[in-house]
Amino acid sequence: MGWTMVSRRWRDFDYVLLVVTLFLIAIGVVMIYSATVNAPELEELTRRQLIYAVVGLGLMGLTAVIDYRLLSSLGLVLYCITLGMLGVVFIVGQVLVGAQRWINLGLSIQPSELAKLLTIIVLAKFLSDHEEDIGRWRYVLMALAILIPPVVLIYLQPHLSSAIVLTAVGAVMIFVGGIRWLHVTMIGLAGAAAAPVLWFSLKGYMQKRVLIFINPQGDPAASYNIEQALTSIGSGGWLGKGFLHGSQSQLGFLRVRHADFIFSVIAEEFGLVGSLLLLLLLFIMLWRLLRIAEMARDDFGRLIVVGMATLIFVQSVINIGMNVHLLPVTGIPLPFVSHGGSSLVTLLLGLGLAQSVAMRHRKIEF
Amino acid sequence: MVSSQRPRRSMSRVLLLRIAVVLAFVTLAGQLWRLQIVQGDTFRWRANNNRFRVLPEPAARGVIYDRQGSILARNLPRYQVVIVPEDLPEEEVEQARVLRRLIRLLETPSPTSAGANGHSPVPATGRSPSLEETLPVTETTAASPAPSGASIAPAFPSLEELQAQISEAARESVFRPLLVSDNIPRDAALLIQEESGNLPGIQVQVQPRREYPSGALTAAIVGYTGPIPRESVDVYVEQGYAQTDEIGLVGLEATFEDVLRGEAGYRAIVVDVYGREVRGIGSPQSPVPGHNLVLTIDLELQRAVEEALRNGLQAAYRRAGVAIAMDPRNGAVLALVTLPSYDNNLFAQGISAKAYAELTEDLDYPLVNHAISGIYPPGSVFKIIPAAAALEEEVITPRTLLGDSERLDGANDGVIWLPNKYFPWDRRQDQPFYCWVHKLGYGHGRINVVTALAVSCDVFFYQLSGGHVRFEGLGLETLDQYAQLFGLGQLTGIDLPAENPGLVPDAKWKRQVYGQSWVTGDTYNIAIGQGFVLVTPLQMLNATVAVANGGYLYRPRLVYRTTDANGEVLQNFAPELIRELPIAREHLEVVRQGMYEAVNWEHGTAANAALPNVTVAGKTGTAEFFIDRNQDGWPDRDAEGNLPTHAWFTAFAPYEDPEIALVILIEGGGEGSKAALPVAVEILQAYFAPEEPLEFTETAGQPIEPTEPMDGVDDGQ
Repeated sequence: MGWTMVSRRWRDFDYVLLVVTLFLIAIGVVMIYSATVNAPELEELTRRQLIYAVVGLGLMGLTAVIDYRLLSSLGLVLYCITLGMLGVVFIVGQVLVGAQRWINLGLSIQPSELAKLLTIIVLAKFLSDHEEDIGRWRYVLMALAILIPPVVLIYLQPHLSSAIVLTAVGAVMIFVGGIRWLHVTMIGLAGAAAAPVLWFSLKGYMQKRVLIFINPQGDPAASYNIEQALTSIGSGGWLGKGFLHGSQSQLGFLRVRHADFIFSVIAEEFGLVGSLLLLLLLFIMLWRLLRIAEMARDDFGRLIVVGMATLIFVQSVINIGMNVHLLPVTGIPLPFVSHGGSSLVTLLLGLGLAQSVAMRHRKIEF
Repeated sequence: MVSSQRPRRSMSRVLLLRIAVVLAFVTLAGQLWRLQIVQGDTFRWRANNNRFRVLPEPAARGVIYDRQGSILARNLPRYQVVIVPEDLPEEEVEQARVLRRLIRLLETPSPTSAGANGHSPVPATGRSPSLEETLPVTETTAASPAPSGASIAPAFPSLEELQAQISEAARESVFRPLLVSDNIPRDAALLIQEESGNLPGIQVQVQPRREYPSGALTAAIVGYTGPIPRESVDVYVEQGYAQTDEIGLVGLEATFEDVLRGEAGYRAIVVDVYGREVRGIGSPQSPVPGHNLVLTIDLELQRAVEEALRNGLQAAYRRAGVAIAMDPRNGAVLALVTLPSYDNNLFAQGISAKAYAELTEDLDYPLVNHAISGIYPPGSVFKIIPAAAALEEEVITPRTLLGDSERLDGANDGVIWLPNKYFPWDRRQDQPFYCWVHKLGYGHGRINVVTALAVSCDVFFYQLSGGHVRFEGLGLETLDQYAQLFGLGQLTGIDLPAENPGLVPDAKWKRQVYGQSWVTGDTYNIAIGQGFVLVTPLQMLNATVAVANGGYLYRPRLVYRTTDANGEVLQNFAPELIRELPIAREHLEVVRQGMYEAVNWEHGTAANAALPNVTVAGKTGTAEFFIDRNQDGWPDRDAEGNLPTHAWFTAFAPYEDPEIALVILIEGGGEGSKAALPVAVEILQAYFAPEEPLEFTETAGQPIEPTEPMDGVDDGQ
């Protein structure tokens, strides 16, 4: 029975999704090279990203092979791991750029990235277990109760943007999980009422970022990054200045160009054509993921894939939106493209899960 | 088990998610279109603005030489200390050590930086420095020049100030050099360079600065350069200057700015975010050095003239005076000295506030070129003009006798009586007009014009100009007309800024200023260079030159020619005639004879100017002036009730074929024959005895084409 079944499964593996994933990772590695070629202190980054990609792709393959349904029994365990991991950051975490986000295990890792994936799984488990009760207020609150602790822990690091991303992902999952519109409205109103409280609990630099977004002329020094990103993108024109020839990125006017602003490097060196191509790749990826969600055999799988799709979607929009000055400057990387091991490996693990869902969407097994 | 309703609801909600994805991506794509296509040009311009820099390469300013090739103005390295924050030690204690060491090196007083040209700010005569100029006839009416661009050198900052400056600059860019001290002494620069291994982050930069080897000796001619005055930065930037450029502010440095300046080159480069040069673009435009000026001034003669004037001032216990030497064949100024002077090097280096205050508060106005900006009553040196005018207008002939006599008013005592305008019959209301000789107890008697010039007879010129009894004089209008022909009351057009036109008064002027009508007495006063007429020493010299050379009024010249950086002649400045005087040569010859007799006749007022080896002609002048230094509301007078006088002397030599003409003025110096004349004698002795070397002269650091001495052969006339 074994080989037939395995080969049937692989027939359902989403190769389009794989190819798109590989393209995005390749673009990332190449653009990180471009972004760091003139900065000797960042020389290592390209090689490191390549290693993360190889490790991540290996893990993705492994996850795809394993049946995602095995995870459904580990819900509580995974949730404890999530909270434990985020808690550890406060004790042994490294303070980098004013926030405790990293744990040093030989190489610095960012637990909040993995926590997003684990929270997706835990929430998917809860929502699929109670799919018939989710119409009831109590269960909605329970779902929120699962979501809120990791969000708060990430917010306290402080990592505002990641907390927002996770909130958005959780909200979409609860929405797709079947919440009633009435409850959506009520939560929305409650959120609006709580907004002023949230605003005043924001750290000074976070408030400043939002204010600069609203009025970039307010603080010339702080709006420098936005200004330079816009100049990089805008000066790219139709076809861009050519690989390794972006003056803004190569001469260092564009800051954090290997991570948060890598989209600007792409737009500068490859122009509108290049940046639209990148958008197209992300779009295809999301389309394929939502297709998997629709054909998933159970709610658990569907919600995992919806969570992953939302994660990739929200992060892409926030990152690109920031680059093109539609959204405030935040520290959200561009999925698969920005430099960063934790993010890349987590996303690939998530895609592995999605592939696992895809491979097992047929109910009848021969 | 699984209800069919649930998945359907999820499905529809996944569809909503798809719609959200499409909308979001369309929005992003739209924004990309807007930025990259619609506003692409704006951002491309911004990106280019980020990376391209045009670096100006300053041109070497032209050198100024005297006619023999001695350097009067040149460029020297100017040492600046800059700090590159990036290269400073990171450790705070170590960084403070480096900065403290730097401050110590800069504070060590250097022997060369002390005031080289120390003339005392205390007036040598010891008179009280009260304010003056309450009356219109004054020594010097030119205001002291505004402190335009006189850069005041700041004291070196303390450690704390320095650290503040550095952290301020580091916020901008840690790679950009921060200028912390400008114009440091060469010794200090060398010390810092020697210790550079021990002073990481400290660098010495070299910029050009102006140096004037002859300093105060030629400051009034050469002037100085300095930063562009703040109020006119825009105007200069429009003309292609950089904001930090230095320009000529005073003297020839200012007048010939366009010639001396040269053309700055530039280099286009690509810079990175820290302002570091990444690479050059295109071919750089190298700077074109400015042109050199070769002056008509002879530094050796200038030195001799200055020394002679200094001696003359010392003998008269005065500090202020002027001496100018000119070639009467072409108007070339050979020497121009105005005292007190100032060291123009102080300005080129950035003068200290204290030194600047000393210069501006000095009542003898060292910063003013008295030769062209100071206006004075000319006294008797003016008499050459009424003499020439009367001959040309046929008011007199060379044989006409005028003057005091017993037959005229009962006594040849040097006094004539001018009837009162309204009571001409009443002898008791007659106004006396004195000849200078009256105080010796006699008059000059009836004499001709040559003798009148020789003895400087005032009565003769009163009558000649204003008329007396039945003798019809020149009259004010004709006198004015000739004064103007001789160049008075107008600019001579010398190549120096801030020239004063002086004043040739007429009846209308008096009515406007004083509300009184012109009377014959005013004409009498003008006839002897008193009253309302005011001249600059240079104007008086120019008028004298026109007599000496037979009627040619030249524009005084300071620049002989311009050369390029290789010494090739670019432009020779030909003598420029203002006008040929409409006066017959034989008439001017009579005036020349008068000046000859003044020197060469034993009774002449300038008999002491006679020299054994050359025939000198000259004219003395002693001009009363009004000044109220004690501020009692009345003009100051000496113990005998006399007004103070400026001592004048004009001269030319050789009489037969003049090659040098002089004007000497000792402000408040007393009698021309006593105070001014010896100065001229000393100068003429030096000029006509060139076989004895005058003094050690500085030789040009850079050889230029040997200049053949300028003489009258090359002039256009």
